[in-house]
Amino acid sequence: MEFAIISTLNGVTYGLLLFMVSAGLTLIFGMMGVLNFAHASFYMLGAYIAYAVSSLFGFWTGIIVAPIVVGIIGMLVERFLLPRVHAHGHAHELLLTFGLALIIEELIKLFFGDFPVNYQMPDALRFSAFHIFGTGYPFYRMLIGAVAIIMFTVLWLLLTRTRTGIVVRAAERLPNMAEALGHNIPVVFMFVFGTGAALAGLAGAVAGAFYPTNPNMGLELGVIVFVVVVVGGLGSLKGSLVASLLIGLFSSFAVGLDWSLAGALDIVGLGDWARSIGGLMTLELSSVSATIPFALMLVILLVRPAGLLGERN
Amino acid sequence: MKRFTKLAASTAALLGTFALGAQTLHAEPLKIGIIESLSGSQTSTGRLYANAVKYGVDKINAAGGFNGEPVQVTEYDNAGGAPEAADKFRQAVADGVDIVIQGASSAIAGQLTENVRKYNIRHPGKEVMFINLGGEATELTGDKCQFYHFRFTTTAPMRVNALVNALKNAGDLGDKVYSINQNYSWGKDVQAAVEAAAPAGGYDIVGEVLHDVNKIQDFAPFVARIKSANPDTVFTGNWSNDLLLLMKATGDAGLKVTFATAYLDQPGNIANAGATALGHYIANNYDNAAASSDEFPEAYKAATGHYPIFVEGHSAFAIAQLQQALGTLDFKGGDINVTKIALALENSVYDSPVGPISVRKEDHQTIRPVVVSKVVKNPKYPADDTDMGFQTVEVIPGEKAIYPVQDSCKMQRPSE
Repeated sequence: MEFAIISTLNGVTYGLLLFMVSAGLTLIFGMMGVLNFAHASFYMLGAYIAYAVSSLFGFWTGIIVAPIVVGIIGMLVERFLLPRVHAHGHAHELLLTFGLALIIEELIKLFFGDFPVNYQMPDALRFSAFHIFGTGYPFYRMLIGAVAIIMFTVLWLLLTRTRTGIVVRAAERLPNMAEALGHNIPVVFMFVFGTGAALAGLAGAVAGAFYPTNPNMGLELGVIVFVVVVVGGLGSLKGSLVASLLIGLFSSFAVGLDWSLAGALDIVGLGDWARSIGGLMTLELSSVSATIPFALMLVILLVRPAGLLGERN
Repeated sequence: MKRFTKLAASTAALLGTFALGAQTLHAEPLKIGIIESLSGSQTSTGRLYANAVKYGVDKINAAGGFNGEPVQVTEYDNAGGAPEAADKFRQAVADGVDIVIQGASSAIAGQLTENVRKYNIRHPGKEVMFINLGGEATELTGDKCQFYHFRFTTTAPMRVNALVNALKNAGDLGDKVYSINQNYSWGKDVQAAVEAAAPAGGYDIVGEVLHDVNKIQDFAPFVARIKSANPDTVFTGNWSNDLLLLMKATGDAGLKVTFATAYLDQPGNIANAGATALGHYIANNYDNAAASSDEFPEAYKAATGHYPIFVEGHSAFAIAQLQQALGTLDFKGGDINVTKIALALENSVYDSPVGPISVRKEDHQTIRPVVVSKVVKNPKYPADDTDMGFQTVEVIPGEKAIYPVQDSCKMQRPSE
């Protein structure tokens, strides 16, 4: 019971962090059709900007300034870089943003050094929200989860319940028609991209204080964020929320389970034989927990190529 | 403009020919190639190895170089990957490198030692030597051991045995030990060493787990697992993010255990872990606080602007030991004979600030002291601009720290 409750808690909060980072990516892909490989780099930029600002003006200023600055950088990228390759299709956009990711990483190293920087949450936030089975549960993890939930609610309401949402969705489906109706499509796209980047920046600013802020954080999270988006269905906000939670829960439970193929074969009495072979047979689930999301992605792609809640096919 | 370029090019070519002609009058310089992770995710470690090698070679050159010429160092960026390292090795030998140096990964060290072995089989008389500053996988001096590979660092059993001894003497070991490690050669070595040291340390292993390397963002599930096993001490060979995230998650959960680590002194760790790091142990090749005098740390600071950190100390000693070995040789300005350098290095004993370092002839593992330190407040050498740092608990001398030669090592010595 203890195992189930703690694993669920850990899985849900980690899943919400994943959602926080992938929300912007989903938004940008869903609304603009741009696969932004540099998205996790915006997450890293958010953490570093928050670190730089918060060391001068305090933690909360950093949290507010980082998404704004990253949003502006995102808008500049959309305005000046992406249109040049847009006509050549997805592959070129992907390559451009991939190059951008590498450049951002090296720039970060240039300005902040190769090592993790000392970006910390204020001591006022460093306490246990509650104790469960004798272990403290950090308040900050709850905060990360809360920010993610607020992010989802606001985005979802904005896109489905407001005029802005209608214009943005129209710009994606029928750009020419929307333009004919007097909406400035390039500006809409610029703001969508900026918002997506700003969301990544906010995620970085919030999560960077909990996880180490270092020049590799973008690349490390980048891959898993793409897995989230693929599993959830490209462009589906609800899908990526479901996928994030699934991946969070799966990896959290996998850590506590010493299951192996040999154990499974015990049921049919072949366990000892499997153990004598070793290798893959005795590989424990916990030692490959980071691979679980990728296995999940494979299964989803086989069963539902469009992703859990994806519409495109 | 075009004509000017052409003119400049031909002049340069002409000058080059002259320079080439002039060079034959000069002695042959000793060429060192650093094939290190200078971009990509391991830059932070690779750069430190390169710093220390450069510091050591500058000292050789300040003392007059070798063979009548300054020693030349070239950096080759392996971008953190073994295939790239193999490419860069080909480039390095094409550039005439005599000694290759690397440290930031066992996987890359494994690649390079194979490259060196094959190259030397194909080019007798023009051998290349490999100085391994950080690849700690035991197979490098076991299955893969060879005459032209030298390991100037500890291995898992050396670090773990030193930690077990020191923690036991300090009364911090307890009788329940947990072992959490990365799922590859190094992590498995550490886990095996923790198991092997159990009878001597008088502890039970209440749990052990191997996990993916640098892929896990959230260590809270692992901490939940450690907590349910209720250990006194957690042994881990983890480095970089994996160590930091593990310690942070433990601190956040309010779990009180002592960590026995191998890489806690990696820059950024102490600052990021904050008060969580206090009381944790590390076994390493060298620590400034353990040095017999301030001479080396101060000299290093004067040359590079900072005290030696993380792997810089022991890497600088390796080059100093090479310098000492070179001092016993004289090629009279003629060809560099790498085999003779290797033989001289085998016979060298370097008196480092933490004790003598010698090379074991059977497998070219260095016999060296292991420094066990503990994180305290207000130390002599603060880490990461914090008020915390390392205090020496014990320096285990080389002959006590060393482990027996592995049976799998079948070294072919050059016929003399």
